[in-house]
Amino acid sequence: MIKFSQVTKQYRNGHEALKNVSFDIQAGEMVFLEGHSGAGKSTLFKLISRIEKPTSGQIIVDNKNLGRLKPRKIPELRRDIGVIFQDHKLLLDRSVFDNVALPLIVIGMPRDEIKKRVRAALGKVGLSGKENALPITLSGGEQQRVGIARAVINRPNILLADEPTGNLDKALSDEIIDIFADFNQVGVTVLIATHDTRQVARLGKRTLHLDHGELVEPSMTQQTQQQESNQGQTDG
Amino acid sequence: MGSYLTRHLQVLFATLGDMRRTPMASFNTLVIIAIMILLPCMMYVFVKSAQSLSGTWQGRPQITIFLQKDLSQDVAKLIFEEIRLNPAIELAELISPTQALDEFKLLSKLDENAVTIDAQLELIGENPLPASIVVMPSLGFSRSDKLQNLKTELSNFEGIDTIQLDLDWIDRFNAILNVAGRIALLLSALLAIALIFIVGNTIKLLIMNRRHEIEITKLVGGTDTFVRRPFLYYGALFGFFGALIALGLLLLAAKLTQPAIEQLAASYQTGNLVYSPSESEIAIVIAISTGLGWLAARWSVAQHLRHIQPK
Repeated sequence: MIKFSQVTKQYRNGHEALKNVSFDIQAGEMVFLEGHSGAGKSTLFKLISRIEKPTSGQIIVDNKNLGRLKPRKIPELRRDIGVIFQDHKLLLDRSVFDNVALPLIVIGMPRDEIKKRVRAALGKVGLSGKENALPITLSGGEQQRVGIARAVINRPNILLADEPTGNLDKALSDEIIDIFADFNQVGVTVLIATHDTRQVARLGKRTLHLDHGELVEPSMTQQTQQQESNQGQTDG
Repeated sequence: MGSYLTRHLQVLFATLGDMRRTPMASFNTLVIIAIMILLPCMMYVFVKSAQSLSGTWQGRPQITIFLQKDLSQDVAKLIFEEIRLNPAIELAELISPTQALDEFKLLSKLDENAVTIDAQLELIGENPLPASIVVMPSLGFSRSDKLQNLKTELSNFEGIDTIQLDLDWIDRFNAILNVAGRIALLLSALLAIALIFIVGNTIKLLIMNRRHEIEITKLVGGTDTFVRRPFLYYGALFGFFGALIALGLLLLAAKLTQPAIEQLAASYQTGNLVYSPSESEIAIVIAISTGLGWLAARWSVAQHLRHIQPK
């Protein structure tokens, strides 16, 4: 579903965010992406949703070769990928309903259908009845869940989550990761960037480790605790 | 098709809602647009009114018929009678050489440089002026081509030397109007360009204000067409409402100037002088203004929207 072949990304300021990264995530897989801040996790996400272009290498997402993707085909790609951002990226002057409905509005779905779907998505993330609230009146965890509802509303094949549990307490983190696991259960490919090793250990899924832009074996990373928790579930 | 229309209507109403949410900013832009639309409209109405004015004046030009100099007074009278009975002529007056000379002397005395005129006339020894007939054609012969026909008809008379058709000043007036019309057209073009820049700039500010929203919309798969649409509506609506305000102001301006114009009309004994635009002309103004607003938005969007990409 997501295939990187020797992908390198160097920014214009010379910073090399990703170095010769190759991996293959199968359809229906749930994978964690670990690494220190600045290791290249966000860059990797931006490459998948074609916000950035790789300097070299090939990226194939949902059978689309991103290197050959015409600019006017980019929206189509992004409709197939639900992205959850660390900073939520919500429209603060719009209601929760408008925020969650946005991916459906851009494809011109009829209003009635949108209402149904938004209600269902908000129910799924435990925000029923918050349709008319402004995001600013919600807690951090609730805002995160609005972001998740928006990411899944269009039933994408791929879910990308960048530090979705960043500022949340344990219980809330578990809750949110479980929501992703639920989507994975129904066949959605899920990729979660996190440095919450507890979650990685708890779910026991395959994990990719980024270290200064390079994909490394978990044994090469510095934290023994992390190594222990990931024994036997690393790249296959 | 139905859903396409629905989507457009949704954007239209969403844009109207946005305008209402920022009434002051929208109002400022609308006033500027309205004035820019109003100026050419006023010039147009002015030129049109002046043209209709010159049209009514054309009904009363003078024709001066100079008779041959050696004609006797009786023959002159005969010619005069014949001309007077011509149905194309409403009024005719015979001016004998003596009358003409008296008039000439009278006019000369008003001129300081002409003190020696009596002496000069004495030198000539006889009256050098011919008899003439001053004619006012009837209203039916008001148009200049008909006057020309009349002139040709009169010149067939025996004993007539020259015919002077007093159309020069009307031609000159029309030429001035023509120039005014051209200048108005040029100014309108300049104002249209200025309008495009102003609407374009307003749209640019709107785009900048909604940068975050545009980025997110693109992130969730919004196409450029989708992102662009509300801004195009903004531009078109600016043009549309600007034109409505301009037409309202034009009506107000007409009301305010009416007393003065009625006075002017009374002095020329003509009817209503102010040209009132037809429905199709009003529709054209609205269409042009809306179109310009849309064009300006299109131009601004092409410049600024491309650079806003999700980060």
